[in-house]
Amino acid sequence: MKKRRKANTAFRHTGAFWLFVLPSLGLFALFFLLPLVLSIWFSFTDFDGWKKMNFIGLKNYTKILKDSSFYLSLGRTFIYTIVNLPFKVAIPLLLAALVTSKKLKGNTAVRTMIYIPVLFSSLVAGITINWMFSQEYGLVNFLLEKMGMTPLEWSLNPTLATVVISVASNWVSAGYYMLLYVGGINNISKELYEAASIDGSGKVNTFFHITVPLLLPTTFIVLLLSTVNLLKEYALIQGITLGGPGTSTTYIVQYIFSQGFDQYKYGYASAAGVLVSIVFIVIAAIQFKMTKGGGEV
Amino acid sequence: MKTSKHLGSTIAITVLGFVIALIIFFPIIWLTFSSFKPRAELFAYPLHLLPSKFNFDYYGSVVNDGLFVYMKNSLFLAVVGTLITVLISASCGYALAIYRKEIPYVNKVFAVFLLGTLIPGEILTIAQFTVVTDIGLYNNIWGCILPVVTTTTGIFMYRQHYMSIPLALAESARIDGASEFMIFRKIMLPLGYSVTVTLTIFSFMWRWNDYILPLMLLSDQSKFTIQIAIKSYIGTMAVDWSSILAASVLSIVPVIVLYMILQKYITGGLAATGVKG
Repeated sequence: MKKRRKANTAFRHTGAFWLFVLPSLGLFALFFLLPLVLSIWFSFTDFDGWKKMNFIGLKNYTKILKDSSFYLSLGRTFIYTIVNLPFKVAIPLLLAALVTSKKLKGNTAVRTMIYIPVLFSSLVAGITINWMFSQEYGLVNFLLEKMGMTPLEWSLNPTLATVVISVASNWVSAGYYMLLYVGGINNISKELYEAASIDGSGKVNTFFHITVPLLLPTTFIVLLLSTVNLLKEYALIQGITLGGPGTSTTYIVQYIFSQGFDQYKYGYASAAGVLVSIVFIVIAAIQFKMTKGGGEV
Repeated sequence: MKTSKHLGSTIAITVLGFVIALIIFFPIIWLTFSSFKPRAELFAYPLHLLPSKFNFDYYGSVVNDGLFVYMKNSLFLAVVGTLITVLISASCGYALAIYRKEIPYVNKVFAVFLLGTLIPGEILTIAQFTVVTDIGLYNNIWGCILPVVTTTTGIFMYRQHYMSIPLALAESARIDGASEFMIFRKIMLPLGYSVTVTLTIFSFMWRWNDYILPLMLLSDQSKFTIQIAIKSYIGTMAVDWSSILAASVLSIVPVIVLYMILQKYITGGLAATGVKG
């Protein structure tokens, strides 16, 4: 009797479990898992998004692997990511150290001002920073000229255009990562700092020898999140260079979109997407392995 | 001696803090003041911080262009999207936490959702676009809502939260005769309050700022969201800066207002979830 009752309740809870999970799972299956499978399927076809859809085997893949513009945009994306990663970690870390200092008066005001850019859409963040750096009548060039320097060609020079995009990307994310670091700093025991100060350790020394090492788990999260976000940078650039000058700031997501939506090569673009996904997963796996190697997370 | 040194460093740190905060905040001030400058002043040296007089012409013209319609569309996307996200994430995260001991495959279901964090949605946009079009939601705001409401982050936040609540709480409610749905609705959902507030502001912000799907899916101008409307001012031939500036300033007002209202909750909430995540 008792056993039977238990079986019944277990059945009841299985039903409840699926009912609770179903809305999320159903939408996830329809709009994530299905597109995932479709992407792989499209990648073996010449699908044009409309009528044509023939199986063409690995043709898309062999074509992409011979396409220099694929390698160029992927390479550009990597360089952009690698150059920006140190800033994505260092700036929020220093900001967090600043706003958690007991000596900072008006803490809330400072935090709020640093955090507000996080609320901006990537597009509007791009526009906001681009407006500062606009080549003619931009504030930065105006100030450079006032200081007796030559104004810079922010939108004509590929390197300078990348600098503007990088500034915008850091500007819109710094406050968010700062908050992650603030959380990490608040979790460090106060006694550790007291002990360090009794032992005569200075502020700078304490920061580098206690705070930074103990924040390693947070740093790994920041690295992981910012790597993915840098690799897939797209909307921000639509507010700044649109991928130019030429194609010098066309990164991989824009490459896929232009193949797919502008040139109606859905199959080809899907194959590029599959290849890029593999690259993303490998990078995430390497970072995850390194995280475990750090032994902290 | 020691107190004066202490006072000195307090002043130094505080000044440094405000200088840095102002540098970071300054582009917003510059954007806002620029949006009130007449075009002649916008493109003439020397530049001044303040407009010679506050000119609302471009605000008037973007509103005439339908800016409030676009903002209304964005508001619908953000509010409805957030409501759905909070409800389905709460129930899903709750179930993944509360039945973890009695149903053996719960963690396998959770692992399926974790797949969502592995591949960025941007990569799947083309296939997503095909699915949305095939179910008849092209040029329909629901086509921009349904694909993005499931968020692994949201499910994860609720799951973590409910795992910290003793299972005995649900058990005793069951003994009192409460149904599983009642337990969730009457006891557990209110207990998830802190996660709900955090997820609400984040989801609202994500949806308000959504760009790629609305750009690909919405073709009627009357259905545009605010982001797409702003993008449409960046023409291929000429960039209409005055309209872009005014529309950009208006576009950030709702998110900042919501942030200001809920600010005191998110600092703690986000920091905690972020580090545990």
